[in-house]
Amino acid sequence: MSETTFIRIALAKGRLEKDARALLHAAGLMPAHAPNNERALILPGAEPQLDFLLAKPADVPVYVEHGVADLGIVGLDVLREGNYDVYEPVLLPFGHCRLSVAVPRDRVDAYHSLRLNPNPRVATKYPNLALQYFHARGVSPEIIPLSGSVELGPLVGLSDVIVDLVQTGRTLQENGLIEVRVIMHSQAVLIANRASYRLKEERIQNIIEKIKGAKVEISPED
Amino acid sequence: MDTGPLEIKRFASPLGECYTTLRLETGKFPSLSERNMTDWRKSLATNGERPPGRPLPRGVIDRFWGEAAGLRHLERVLRNLYASWGYTEYVPPTFEYAENLSTGAGAPLQEQMYRFFDRDGRMLALRPDMTIPTARLVGSKLFDQPFPQRFFYTGPVFRYNEPLAGMQREFYQAGVELIGVQGPEADGEILALAVESLHAMGLRDFRIVLGEMSFFRGLLQGLNLPPEGTRSLRSALDRKSEPELTALVQKWNLPQQAREAILQLPYLHGSQGILAAASRIVLNATMERALEHLQAIERIVDAYGVKSYITLDLAEVRGMEYYTGITFEGFAPGLGFALLSGGRYDNLVGEFGPPQPAVGFAITLDRALRAREAQGVEPPQWTPQIVVGGHITESTVKHVQDLRNRGKMVAWHYTANTPEDLWAYAQQGNIPLAVWCGPEVWIWHQGVKQHIPPNRDWTQEIEVLSDQ
Repeated sequence: MSETTFIRIALAKGRLEKDARALLHAAGLMPAHAPNNERALILPGAEPQLDFLLAKPADVPVYVEHGVADLGIVGLDVLREGNYDVYEPVLLPFGHCRLSVAVPRDRVDAYHSLRLNPNPRVATKYPNLALQYFHARGVSPEIIPLSGSVELGPLVGLSDVIVDLVQTGRTLQENGLIEVRVIMHSQAVLIANRASYRLKEERIQNIIEKIKGAKVEISPED
Repeated sequence: MDTGPLEIKRFASPLGECYTTLRLETGKFPSLSERNMTDWRKSLATNGERPPGRPLPRGVIDRFWGEAAGLRHLERVLRNLYASWGYTEYVPPTFEYAENLSTGAGAPLQEQMYRFFDRDGRMLALRPDMTIPTARLVGSKLFDQPFPQRFFYTGPVFRYNEPLAGMQREFYQAGVELIGVQGPEADGEILALAVESLHAMGLRDFRIVLGEMSFFRGLLQGLNLPPEGTRSLRSALDRKSEPELTALVQKWNLPQQAREAILQLPYLHGSQGILAAASRIVLNATMERALEHLQAIERIVDAYGVKSYITLDLAEVRGMEYYTGITFEGFAPGLGFALLSGGRYDNLVGEFGPPQPAVGFAITLDRALRAREAQGVEPPQWTPQIVVGGHITESTVKHVQDLRNRGKMVAWHYTANTPEDLWAYAQQGNIPLAVWCGPEVWIWHQGVKQHIPPNRDWTQEIEVLSDQ
């Protein structure tokens, strides 16, 4: 039965894509020269009855939770921002970064204690995680959800602080921001649909073993 | 046809959509005599003219046509099955005192209850499941009646959650509860009945995943963790996150045996050799007993011939908070979510009266319908099989009544002026057969017309065609 079980793996486009492709290739699951064309949404696998679905990062857990993809590769940041009922059997050795609170360099003192600010305006792509973090500390923030270039927020006067992903800190630096708190550490994670995990158990375990065993050189952080 | 002066209005709906609607200056729709259905169909096609949408609150849907027929079909099939296993029907009230329903419901279910006040200011709630009302019935009313007691139910339950995979905030359940018996026989019966239910609904491919709460509880006793430790362990197990389990084990600095037990847990799932593997990580008598219990259940479901549908998973610790023993979920291909869930809840009846052990399950029928569709199961017939129009005479009425008495689903069409009108109606309504009774009788069968010679009983012809 395992030869005929069809598996679809959703991959997050963008930040994690290159390393995810390298890992899947090393695991023998993706052909060496898988098409790298912006428009291709479904790529063939290196095994029969296996393919890959390229999706926006935030959509990967949605596809997997609904079972249209059996497995998925996505960042923990994206996964925790939503409330998805999926399995997370393997952490993958790439995509390391942190979700942090950053403030303008010249106002760091004002954020020495977040608690003392009655209603900070927070620009972020992660409204849920940001809100949880501030609420847990008794702070009532005004969350301003953005979908990109969050670091502009304080520069143009939209927000007092930002909550955003930090990899090396260069973007923050260039925009006059300083990281003051780490909300969570993130990295890539393999997720699985709960029904597929049972119904296609054998094949999924086989793929998980291949991914766990893959030796791969991860591109240096930029 | 002149419909009188019209004006075009735009309506903003709560959904932010705009409808272009034609209304008379009086602000009313044209009366029945002014326009008929066909006109509305034409003006929708040509002008986009339509009545305003009447949005429904989030979480409720209109179930009609095939959806309603499918739902009722499943209810019928399951009702027959449960009756044949000796279960009797329980029709619980749709709402009751919130206090009763909160009893025994875990925090998540309580949060999801729809609550409101009656005129005396007492708080009521819509039933969030059927198990709690059943436990109340047995605990507070039927406590001195002979046990075991077996109940089944079908109907809507209400939970304030995000609509997901066909499960609305009002969704339909069917299920059973077996009360008054502890032990593997009762658990085995319920598991076998769960498998039979999925079969009866026409599903060919599915899996029941079986866990045992007491195995995990035994493990917790053996570990002696602080409350937040239990929470993190549960959360890591719920997500099958091996990396997190490894991190927890390192953080807690546990003895070797306990460490092994936790790290092995995520591997204790599958169909073969799971109990043997699990016996190697047993820390105490509670865990030991849990495994013996599962072994006994395995023998029973084997006797029922349903063992191959059941997969063990000893790391499965989710589900309703009132579960105390076995817990299980049903999965089917094409549906990313569980469509059946159940378990043993030995402490719930005791919340309402003398304690009684109990075990049961519920099926989310809306999801079962989706799984059937994904597996290509033929939906039940929901349109009439035959529509009859033309000139209604005494003999036509007799013929139609004849057909109905022979079990055919036959509808009249009174307003078709020509056979073509009738064929169009049949085609649009997915009705396979139409009969035009005029001076001449014509039968239309899926696009093919056939003339019936005078003096021939057309019902014979219809019988033959409708059985094809």
